Amino acid sequence: MRLSKDGWTGLAVLAASLILFGLTLGLRDNPLVPIGPGFYPRIVLGISAVLALALIVFSLVGRRSEKKSDANLGLVVAVFAIFFAYVGALPYLGFRIATFLFVPALQVTLEFPRTPKGWAVVAATALVTTVVSYVLFERYLQVLLPRGRWTDF
Amino acid sequence: MYELLLDGIQNLLQLKYFVPLAIGTLIGVVGGAMPGITNTMTVIMVLPFTFGLEPLQGLAAMIGVYIGGESGGLITSCLLGIPGKPSSVATMFDGYPMARKGEPGRALWLGIWASFFGGLLGGLFLVGTTGPLASIALAFGPWEYFALFVFALSMVAGLTGASISKGLLSGAIGLVITVIGNDPVMGQPRLTLGIAWLEGGIPFLPVLIGVFAFSQIMSDVEKMGRARHDPARQFVVPRLVVSHVKVIWEILSRPVMLLWTSFVGVLIGVLPAIGGSAANVMAYDQAKKFSKHPERFGTGTPEGIIASEAANNSNVGGSLVTIMAFGIPGDAVTAVMLGALTIHGIQPGPLFISQEPKLAYGIFAAYFLGHLVMIAIMFLGVRWFLRIVLVPKSILFPVILVLCVVGAYALNNTMANVYVLLLCGVLGYALVKGGLPLAPLILGVILGDQIEINLVRSLMTDNNLWLFLTRPISGLLLGASVASVAFALWQHRRAQKKGAVQEDGADF
Repeated sequence: MRLSKDGWTGLAVLAASLILFGLTLGLRDNPLVPIGPGFYPRIVLGISAVLALALIVFSLVGRRSEKKSDANLGLVVAVFAIFFAYVGALPYLGFRIATFLFVPALQVTLEFPRTPKGWAVVAATALVTTVVSYVLFERYLQVLLPRGRWTDF
Repeated sequence: MYELLLDGIQNLLQLKYFVPLAIGTLIGVVGGAMPGITNTMTVIMVLPFTFGLEPLQGLAAMIGVYIGGESGGLITSCLLGIPGKPSSVATMFDGYPMARKGEPGRALWLGIWASFFGGLLGGLFLVGTTGPLASIALAFGPWEYFALFVFALSMVAGLTGASISKGLLSGAIGLVITVIGNDPVMGQPRLTLGIAWLEGGIPFLPVLIGVFAFSQIMSDVEKMGRARHDPARQFVVPRLVVSHVKVIWEILSRPVMLLWTSFVGVLIGVLPAIGGSAANVMAYDQAKKFSKHPERFGTGTPEGIIASEAANNSNVGGSLVTIMAFGIPGDAVTAVMLGALTIHGIQPGPLFISQEPKLAYGIFAAYFLGHLVMIAIMFLGVRWFLRIVLVPKSILFPVILVLCVVGAYALNNTMANVYVLLLCGVLGYALVKGGLPLAPLILGVILGDQIEINLVRSLMTDNNLWLFLTRPISGLLLGASVASVAFALWQHRRAQKKGAVQEDGADF
């Protein structure tokens, strides 16, 4: 019997619930408090495990009507990768440099500019986004944006 | 009550409050008009700008976004035949045919004025019921609160999406997220996997931002590079001049329909997570059912536009009631507002209106003034908004993601929240791909702590579990929770028989 998409979702949640449930067994109760720290998490994780199991069972016994997706998953992965890199770079490069690199990288990935005007728009968007967000948040809204460990900028 | 409202309006007319309201409304209209940019996304973008403002300034801006967004969606629905957001879908059914028949101005302004009148009716409900509902909630003990939150969660889980088991599972995942961190009684770390920044728990705003921003952006990214035809890019702005007196008369000469569809909108707004899109479609359906000429619906009849737009704006009033009276967000936009309030150390709930009357009546005032501002903005700029919506997504998405990062980081100036945002972005997208609705997850994250605290508090007061059922309000609410799941099951079975199961109908 092959699992459907729902079945795999259920299986992933079931596995996570059981692992976390196992971890709650290591939580020690305090003799002064009648309800220990693991009481509520165990209820919640138990419920999620049962529901995940139900989803697996339904997916096995139910009708299967999965449509073939024509989603551009390569682009999704690329966007996630660029965002991961941006978040990873923020503490090292600082908000201004990381943002100035992130915005054009994502723009070019989403829609590759084919004309000099297109490249100018990419550069302008990166510059305006970085400068405006920095000035607005740091200067006027008292939000301190991340400084770079490597750049001190 | 109405004196306090007048004071609130006077207060809000000060430039320091009025400017954020006006800017928020403008951003809301523009965001609402952009296909693919939902109100949630727009309010998430505005959120970081509110951190440095006074609570009322920030809330005025967000309410402006909310009202502007609900109205902005009709611009592209009527003129381009592309709903700006899900809550303008039904507006398109008659708005676009009317525009194509050579009356684009009439279609557009019928929608705008219907939004205005529907919104005002929703406002009357908001002002009239928040206080009384809050005083009922004041009598609640931990048993009743626990039951109320469970009821809200079960309703959302049952009524969103095609599968009840998926809805409930999504809600349970939300609850699991809230147990990570220190336990509320003794402060002992739980399920932190040794990661120091998880000890403080996971704040719901980065979760909400991550889950929604990524699931929405990635859904659009998936389609990029595929569609070649974009009708918006070849669009020429038509002449939108119209007699406003005639348009207003067209709306007000149908008072029963206006009142009924606004009431439908308010009622749906009160129910957690069933927001504007359901209100818009249900009100349209109601107007069609009660019409003497249902066959005219879909061909450009004014009733279709009036009903759908009155409902999605009055729905805002309903959503605000639940957050102000019970502290339960009616939809994702009010969930972000809840987050903004908690950042300022304000806890919405039954005590909110009595402890923070200036803020509460400021919210009411912002709601009413927001509708006037929306009309003024539409008068001045409707032609321009049609140009702005042509901004490519490849420019918008990087900017939105930068604002999401700033919003998460600025919560307490640590990267921890940005990591939560990132992880929840992946989680949200994975859940959407796995077919799980997001609304129950978010409500689970928002209510999880409160559910635990009230459960523990009630059991520490008296460990008799029967009290949850024997206390009348608590028993009633828990019974209603079971009934809502049973109703959803029945509805699902019926839809399955008809072969019309919808995937995700939530507004969260």
